[in-house]
Amino acid sequence: MLPSERLDYSPIVQRKRLALPGGARLAVWVIVNVEEWDINETMPRTVLTPPAGGSPMPDIPNWAWHEYGNRVGFWRMLEVFDDFRIPAVLAINGSAIARYGAIVEAAKARGWEFIGHGFSQKNMQKVADERDDIRKTAAAIRAATGANPRGWLGPGLTETWETPDLLAEEGYDYVCDWVLDDQPVVLKTRGKPIVNLPYTQECNDVAMMLIQHHKASEYRDRAIDQFDQLYADAAGSARVMALVVHPYIMGAPHRLRYFREALAHARAHPDVVFWTGAQILDWYLGQR
Amino acid sequence: MIPRDRAPYSAIVDRPPLRLPGQARLVVWTIVNLEFWDIARPMARQVLPAPTGQVLLPDVPNWSWHEYGMRVGVWRFFDLFARLGIRPTLSINARVCEDYPRVARQARDAGWEFMGHAYEQMPIHRVEDQKAMIERSLSVIEQFTGTRPVGWLGPGLTQTEETPELLAAAGIKYIGDWVYDDEPTEIHTDNGPLVTLPYTVELNDIPMMLVQHHESEYFTRRCLDTFDRLYAEGASRAKVMAIAIHPYISGQPHRIGYLEAVYDRIARYDGVLHWNGVELLDWYLKTRGEG
Repeated sequence: MLPSERLDYSPIVQRKRLALPGGARLAVWVIVNVEEWDINETMPRTVLTPPAGGSPMPDIPNWAWHEYGNRVGFWRMLEVFDDFRIPAVLAINGSAIARYGAIVEAAKARGWEFIGHGFSQKNMQKVADERDDIRKTAAAIRAATGANPRGWLGPGLTETWETPDLLAEEGYDYVCDWVLDDQPVVLKTRGKPIVNLPYTQECNDVAMMLIQHHKASEYRDRAIDQFDQLYADAAGSARVMALVVHPYIMGAPHRLRYFREALAHARAHPDVVFWTGAQILDWYLGQR
Repeated sequence: MIPRDRAPYSAIVDRPPLRLPGQARLVVWTIVNLEFWDIARPMARQVLPAPTGQVLLPDVPNWSWHEYGMRVGVWRFFDLFARLGIRPTLSINARVCEDYPRVARQARDAGWEFMGHAYEQMPIHRVEDQKAMIERSLSVIEQFTGTRPVGWLGPGLTQTEETPELLAAAGIKYIGDWVYDDEPTEIHTDNGPLVTLPYTVELNDIPMMLVQHHESEYFTRRCLDTFDRLYAEGASRAKVMAIAIHPYISGQPHRIGYLEAVYDRIARYDGVLHWNGVELLDWYLKTRGEG
C-alpha cells in the first residue's frame, strides 16, 4: 500500500488538541536498541574500514566494536536510567533475547517495555519471510517477558509495502518507522489500523555519530534544542519527543556524559512525562 | 572458528573486578602504529582521492602523505614520549625494520615494546599464505630487536576465521583485534588460549580523523572525556584506556599539540599507570581469578 493510501496529509496546526494528564506539555520516550550482529553477514555499520578498502569477511573489528555495547556500554547507560528513574523502551532483535540474557533480565527487572526490532539486524526487504520474522520476534519476546510486544521498529526503520499490514495481523498495536510527525498518527492497513508513534532519526545516535560524524557533545546540544522547541510548540497541543540510543555508540565512555546531560535537561522540567511507547499509545487512543 | 565459539557473551557487571597494584585506577596503553605502504598497490588510506575518483597507480600523493609520518611526524612522537618517560607499544609492519631501520632502531633503543602488525599494510584476508606471513613478521622483528613479540594486531584489526589459531601456534600471547571490552579477556583457539587486550577504535586517529573527519582538537576532548569516565569507574574496577596513533596523522604539526594536551592533563592525576601490552598481559594473567 502506498503511504498516501495509509494516511491523509494532515497539517499539525489543524488537528484536535491533544492534552496530556496533569497539564503536561510533552511526553518523552527513550528507546534503547539492542541488536545481535551476525558475524557471517556484512556488518550493519562500521567504524573502521580495512586498509585499501573492500569489505572482507569475517569483519571481526566492527563486530567486536558493536559487541562492546552489549558487554560494557549497556551497563553504563543503565545507571543513567536508574539515576533519573526513567523507564526505557527496549527495541530488541528477536535473536538477541537468547544471546544477551543479562540485558533482558536487567530490562525486565526495571519494567521496561520490549518492542520487536526484527528477528535479526537485517533490512526487512532482505528478510526471506517477513511474516515469519515478525512472528518469531513476538514469540521470543513473549517467551522472555510473558507478554506479546505491542510495538515494532524495523531494523534501520525499513519496511516493505506490506509491513504495517503484517504487523497489525500479527497483533502489534504500534509501529515506529514513520518519522513524519510530532504526534501519533493512525495508519490504515488491509485489516485493523495501526498507530505510528513519533520515533526519531534526528536525535538518534546512529544518524548523528556514525553517518553525520558529529562530536559526542552534539547529541546533548541537539537534544536540548529539540526539547526546547517541542516544549514551546506544545503550548497549544501535546507533543511527543523521542530520544534514541544504541549501547555501542552512546555507551562508549566518551559519549555517555552527553546522553546523561540531555536527559538531565528534560528531567528538570516538571510538566514533562517520561513514558514508554505503550503508555503513549494508550493515552493517544484515549484522546481520539 | 566464529567469535561465539571462542568466547561466550559476558556482561562486565557479572565479573569480579580486576585490581591494579598500589590503588591504581587506570592503565593508559599507548600504541604507535608504523606501517609500510607499497607504492605498487592502492594506498591503505587516502587524504586526497584523485580527480573524478579514479584509482591512481602509482598513488604518489597519498604515498607521500603517509611517508611524511616516517620522515617527520614520528620524531614528534619520539620527543613527546621521551619527555614523558613513556615507552609505548609499537605496532609495526615487520618490513619497517628492513625499509626504515632508522625509525625502528629509535623505538628499539628507547625500549618500546614491538608488537607484530603483519609484514606490510594490507588486509589479512588478502595474504596468500597467512602462516608464512606471521612467521616471517615475527622472525624479522626478533632478529631486529632480539626479542620475539608476544603481541599482535592485524592490519586494520583484520582477522580471518583461522588467524587466532595461527597466531597462537606462532607463540603469540595477546591480540588487539577484539575491541569488545574494557578489560582483557581470554579467547579459545585450537592451539591454546589467546588474551585480548582492549585496543581501541574510539581513541584512534584513523576512525576519528580519516573516517569521521573530526577537527584536530576533538582528539583531546574525546580522550579526556574517556579518561574522566574510566578514571571514575576505576575506583571500583581496574580500567584500561588505549590510545592508538599513527605518525602520518597525529604527527602532523596541527595535531601533535592536541595529543600532547591529553598526556599533560592525565599527568595531573594519581593512580594512573602507563603500561605496554606485555605489562598488561602479565598483570592480567597474574591477577585474574584473584577477585
